[in-house]
Amino acid sequence: MPDTRAPKRRFTLRDLTWTWTPRSAREAGDAVVRNFYLHWFPSKVNKRSVAATYSFWLGTISAVLFLLLTLTGVVLMFLYVPSVERAYGSIKDLEYAVSFGAFLRAVHRIAAHLMVAVVFLHMVRVFLTSAYKNGVMANQNRPLNWYLGLVLLLLTLLLSFTGYLLPWDQLAYWAITVGTNIARAVPLVGEETRFLLLGGHEINQSTLIRFYVLHCVFLPLILTLIFIWHMWRIHKDGGLASHDQAALKAKAEPDEAASAKTYTLMGVSGGTTAAVQSALVQEDRHLVQSVPNLVVRLLAVGLLTLAVAGVLAVWLGAPLEEAANPEVTPNPAKAPWYFLWLQELVTITTVRIGGWTLNGALMGGVLIPGLLLLWAFLVPTLDRTGPATVAVWFHSRRRTANAVFLLICLALVVLTVVATFMRGPFWDFYWPWEQWPSHPSRF
Amino acid sequence: MSHNEDKEKPDSIQRRKLIRRLGAGMVGASLGIPVIMSARALVPNALYEKPLRFKAGQPEQFTQGPTFIADQGVFVFREGQAFYCIGATCTHLGCTVQIVNVGRGRTQTIEFHCPCHGSKFRADGTNFDGPAPRPLSYFRLDFAPDDGQLVVDLSQQAEKGWRLSLT
Repeated sequence: MPDTRAPKRRFTLRDLTWTWTPRSAREAGDAVVRNFYLHWFPSKVNKRSVAATYSFWLGTISAVLFLLLTLTGVVLMFLYVPSVERAYGSIKDLEYAVSFGAFLRAVHRIAAHLMVAVVFLHMVRVFLTSAYKNGVMANQNRPLNWYLGLVLLLLTLLLSFTGYLLPWDQLAYWAITVGTNIARAVPLVGEETRFLLLGGHEINQSTLIRFYVLHCVFLPLILTLIFIWHMWRIHKDGGLASHDQAALKAKAEPDEAASAKTYTLMGVSGGTTAAVQSALVQEDRHLVQSVPNLVVRLLAVGLLTLAVAGVLAVWLGAPLEEAANPEVTPNPAKAPWYFLWLQELVTITTVRIGGWTLNGALMGGVLIPGLLLLWAFLVPTLDRTGPATVAVWFHSRRRTANAVFLLICLALVVLTVVATFMRGPFWDFYWPWEQWPSHPSRF
Repeated sequence: MSHNEDKEKPDSIQRRKLIRRLGAGMVGASLGIPVIMSARALVPNALYEKPLRFKAGQPEQFTQGPTFIADQGVFVFREGQAFYCIGATCTHLGCTVQIVNVGRGRTQTIEFHCPCHGSKFRADGTNFDGPAPRPLSYFRLDFAPDDGQLVVDLSQQAEKGWRLSLT
């Protein structure tokens, strides 16, 4: 009679979470499906997808920063009071009375700055590699993921904006003033929008609580949902666009007939053409196991991101201006660096034709950013270079598109530099080496 | 029997259609109505804001030239026995402008400069530089019937050059 008893193993603490360990490459692939923490990874990934030189891991870094922001943000919520009388005081307490309060706040702030920068650079990367396009695999819809990415960029900017209002210092008060007046410049619905944002006609308690709820609940919730959708689309599109480029290259190589096999659920459920099937087989040698190749890199990028945010937080700290004073506008009143291009733009775009004036608030604050955004949404439609250019940096057939895009980026950078270094009191122009005059204040 | 079925079939399909539409309507209403109610709740009905009419002080107390009334964001000017009021809110994006003395000796005068985007206005509120699209607003003044103080009314804009004389 055969022995049906299971072989005995000593129980270790590891068994609480790690019930099974792979013994072969195939089992390692299965592991991705069987392990809860790994189930959203593919079993194998393209070597180029995990290469630092293709994606720079910018999307991953954004996600890690968002996680860091959520975690520090929740702690800060315990310590912050969203009231006009006490908000500034609670930030002062964070800085001077709460253990590690200044560090937490600095990490939260620096992570927000980094997230704005990294999400933008992520978009730049996706554009320059035209990774917003469908490749050769079935059932792809990469343009959708580009649109979702644009929404995520907007949400990141809105989160930053609503966030720096909460300390209720001078920066906060005058940023709400200018920000909501840009909203007012929108034709037809501007006045109502501002009324709804402020919760009245003037900036007071109802404004603060609105921005507080937007910042802590509403916007992060929407961002999380769209982030999940963004990730899900990457799965459905068969991974990063570099997979498609690898498949295209493999197709060009001499075809060695082999049995059709596929590792991705995509291939099974979506159905594949003969060419793609053969490409997928050829691609095999470009693939590596997700565990450990992807997971280890992911952890390394995550830890590096945390380290950089931590060091920058200690180094730079988080500044706090004087308490909000509706009676005096600081001189000059400057927005954070990522909105300075906008501040410069609304300054220089008031157009006068004859006796007719178009306010810079509408031109530079609404129309130009709106047109840029519209163009960004049309990018996948305007690109007619086909799948050959997918996932190639600076492809020669996309020279014009890349040039236009980089010129827009350059314009944004120039505006930011001018506003940062060459604008002094009363927003007058000064060269960086010029001394600002000191204006005696009458008040 | 078959005769009966033929007669019944269109009826039953119509009934199903009706029920399906009613169901869809119920789902739509049960999702949509709370959203509308919540959105409407966020449009304030009662506001706790500063009054738009306020007393600025006894006319005799004002010195010649501009006086900045900080908590209301207006300048009250006195020229001899005449008074007028110019808003300190920049017409570009709403920052508070500041008085800047320009020129020397006889040509010395004041201008209003905005710290946010560099709009510049002359002493009479006319915009001449920077992005501001309009002159600064003039507001009506009045004398309070009870104690004769100057009353500023921010809800009533006045023409440029509007004056209130103390006679």
